[in-house]
Amino acid sequence: MMDSSRRRKNNYISLVLLLCLIILLLAGCWDRTEVNDLAIILATGVDVSKKEAIELSVQVFIPKPAEGGQQEGVSSGTNSSQTLVRSAEGVTIADAMSRLQEKLTRRIFWGQNEVLVIGEKLAKRGIEDQIDFWMRHSEPRERADVFVSMDSAKEVLESMPELERDSAKQLRKLVDSQIGVKVTVKDLSEMLSGEAGAAVIPWVAKLSPSNLGVNKGKNIPFIQGAAVLRGDKMVGWLSDKETRGILWPRNEMKSGIITIRTNGETGYVSLNLLRSNNQLMPKIMNGKWSIRVKTDADLEVIQNTSNLSLLHSKSLKEVERKVVQEIEDREKLALSKTQEKLNADIFGFAEAFQRKYPRIWRRKSSEWKEIFPKVDITFETKVNIIRTGLENEEARKGGEEK
Amino acid sequence: MNFFKHKKNSGDRFPCQQITETLSILPNIPINQDMNQNIEILKSAYTDCSDVVFREFTIGARTKAALIYIDGLSNTQEIDQQVLMPLVQLESFDPGISIENVSKKLAVSDVSVIKTITDVIKQISIGNPVILINNKIKGISIGLPKWEKRGIEDPVAESVIRGPREGFVETIRVNTSLLRRKIRHPALKMKQMTIGKFTETQVIIAYIEGIASNTLIKEVTNRLERIEIDGILESGYIEEMIEDDPFSPFPQVLSTERPDVAASSLLEGRVVILIDGTPFTLIAPCTFASLLQAPEDYYNRFLISTFIRWLRYLFFFIALLAPSAYVAILTYHQEMVPASLLLTIAQSREQIPFPALIEAFIMEITFEALREAGIRLPKQVGAAVSIVGALVIGQAATTAGLVSSAMVMVVAITGVASFLLPRYAAGIAIRMLRFPIMILSGILGLLGVMLGVIAIVVHLCTIRSFGVPYLNSIAPLKIHNLRDVLIRAPWWAMNTRPDSLSTELGNLQRQPHGQKPGPSKGGD
Repeated sequence: MMDSSRRRKNNYISLVLLLCLIILLLAGCWDRTEVNDLAIILATGVDVSKKEAIELSVQVFIPKPAEGGQQEGVSSGTNSSQTLVRSAEGVTIADAMSRLQEKLTRRIFWGQNEVLVIGEKLAKRGIEDQIDFWMRHSEPRERADVFVSMDSAKEVLESMPELERDSAKQLRKLVDSQIGVKVTVKDLSEMLSGEAGAAVIPWVAKLSPSNLGVNKGKNIPFIQGAAVLRGDKMVGWLSDKETRGILWPRNEMKSGIITIRTNGETGYVSLNLLRSNNQLMPKIMNGKWSIRVKTDADLEVIQNTSNLSLLHSKSLKEVERKVVQEIEDREKLALSKTQEKLNADIFGFAEAFQRKYPRIWRRKSSEWKEIFPKVDITFETKVNIIRTGLENEEARKGGEEK
Repeated sequence: MNFFKHKKNSGDRFPCQQITETLSILPNIPINQDMNQNIEILKSAYTDCSDVVFREFTIGARTKAALIYIDGLSNTQEIDQQVLMPLVQLESFDPGISIENVSKKLAVSDVSVIKTITDVIKQISIGNPVILINNKIKGISIGLPKWEKRGIEDPVAESVIRGPREGFVETIRVNTSLLRRKIRHPALKMKQMTIGKFTETQVIIAYIEGIASNTLIKEVTNRLERIEIDGILESGYIEEMIEDDPFSPFPQVLSTERPDVAASSLLEGRVVILIDGTPFTLIAPCTFASLLQAPEDYYNRFLISTFIRWLRYLFFFIALLAPSAYVAILTYHQEMVPASLLLTIAQSREQIPFPALIEAFIMEITFEALREAGIRLPKQVGAAVSIVGALVIGQAATTAGLVSSAMVMVVAITGVASFLLPRYAAGIAIRMLRFPIMILSGILGLLGVMLGVIAIVVHLCTIRSFGVPYLNSIAPLKIHNLRDVLIRAPWWAMNTRPDSLSTELGNLQRQPHGQKPGPSKGGD
């Protein structure tokens, strides 16, 4: 009897435990969505509409089943677009999104949105409110790349690149090649909330299509320099060359080819950048603010059309000196424009000062706008050519004799 | 569970009693002085048994005797020549001569004297003819059994590329000889017992004295002795009767039809149970790690074996989790998939009318059905089934828009993964557990998958096989035992036996240290 009552009690307990487990399952399924019910957004554009409202444009993937391949692959494959662009207006992005949802049969899915294009007009008015949606809402990716487009963002989304699947992929690939700046929503938010209060965003321009075939009239987006923001408003634009110059002090220069010409030589030497490390060394002395941009770079020679023999350390030194000069020239070009013309501290000078002189910074931070243009900038660049490549000195000399 | 137990206890009393009664009349009767009476008893026991032969003859022209055997179980040719001929042709037979002396006259190696009717029946049923002589209270059983048996063949269920090609057969004596040929040391013991009321199946517990722990041997013997069952037709009967946790999907006793596997288990200190009538022998205890060890691991060079073992571990998880992870990610966590992959999947799924979970279920069940059909059907038809199956699963289902091609990939890789598990029983367990995890993943997403995995791990931690924790050397972590789990250590480094199996004896050392080979180590 004892045994059976205990067993009954055990059974009771296990039943209760089982019920608890089943309760756990009740929470299930509520956010279940099939891929078929999603409107997968690949890129988003934000503009100011004619009615002065926010215009949200999205590039939605059309999941057309893949073609059988054999019969009509060539004729239809290139022409048909895999994406569509829809837009809606609203007071805010979220408001526009709810309007947009009315136009789409499937649920808007932000999870794969990796590109955010901001129209120039909106960028000039301020983007803080727009970025807020991206940071606050849980669905959109904070690692989406941000761009500022020359004209309306919608136009960029609608454009058809030739090589890539859609403009979203085109922009992402361009920015991943590390030739220009790469800014994600998270970076942008950090830059805007930082001490400097300035940001730089890749600038999208239009490239006319290469052939006059199917895509006639449609432009191809590409990156051309960068937009500079002070506060959350766009104040200016840097050209490609200037953009390259700002990469050094920002410590974002990771690859690139530098071609120089030494004094008294006819040919050129091209060097490939292998590694570079940059540091900002701030200094406040007698009320004079100055900063030293320290650069360490390793390069390898990839082409030499000059008569210099790189086997001799003397000529190698000469090349190194020239490279240093070249790097510093680029930096100066970018710095002079941002410092004097735009007055936007996009290099993180403010943070550097704050870190080193926190007390002074606390007093002077409000005056940074006045101080920044007057900051004295010096350069200390160290270049190390670690590989000169295979060199045939005899052939070079032989060429001289003729 | 309670419900079943009560019913069983009250239900089985009556018919069981009746049968034992009819049989239990016999045991107590000693062999009678009067041979005719003995024959009467035996004939009544063997009523309507057309295969039992009673051959009456006279020894030395006067003394009546009878030879009893079952046709087809005994070597009649030998009996005629070695037993009947000398006895019938005996010119004078002294009736006072003892039965032992009669047996000495027979030119047969295995002769024994028996005293009761039960023994007579026992001997007859294992194929030993019995001679009863008038006025003698003892009988002679002659060890001349002979029946048709299968030759030793390649083990079908466990094939290897490198390793012995012989497999166990249905005859227990052949199987013991196969074991004895591998382990010649007299420490290899083979305790015999008989299980099964009607089948009276011979069961042999084999172990190596001094390696296997005594508690283990005792426990195995106890559990086998506890079995009261009508018949044992396959080792599966015994396996189910001696398991620790009968409701676990995981096998707690290994089965093998390879003598080399059995021998290696014996050398590790495990106990092998051989059962007459089946080529599948049982190995106890069994641990989770041993489910993932193939015999070939030990025959190939250790680097290769280690690589293959890791591959197997990886595919173990794929076999268990691939469809559920796919379902979970595709219905709850679309943002986890790389963008371009999601777009491809979205394209292939566009025409599919079912949710991912249903789609996965359709495919998995179809696959399991095809596999089962392939096993059951005769070989010639089996090939046709696999061709049709491949077409149905691979081509037609996708073109018909029932399943996406991505799902076909997932199911295919899962199927391949489940074939990688060397133990069939383990493979079935994984195949079975896949379905509840798939349901969980369909309900709760990756959270459900994790819940399922946690539940399985907890379960694995709780079960034991003959006192050995199932996750032994992983869960009660023993670093030195991982030599045969995480990697397959080379033979010159596997110096100790798995300690969980033979701790009490304290002879863990398998071989001396320092046997790593290399050039010019010999000294000459």
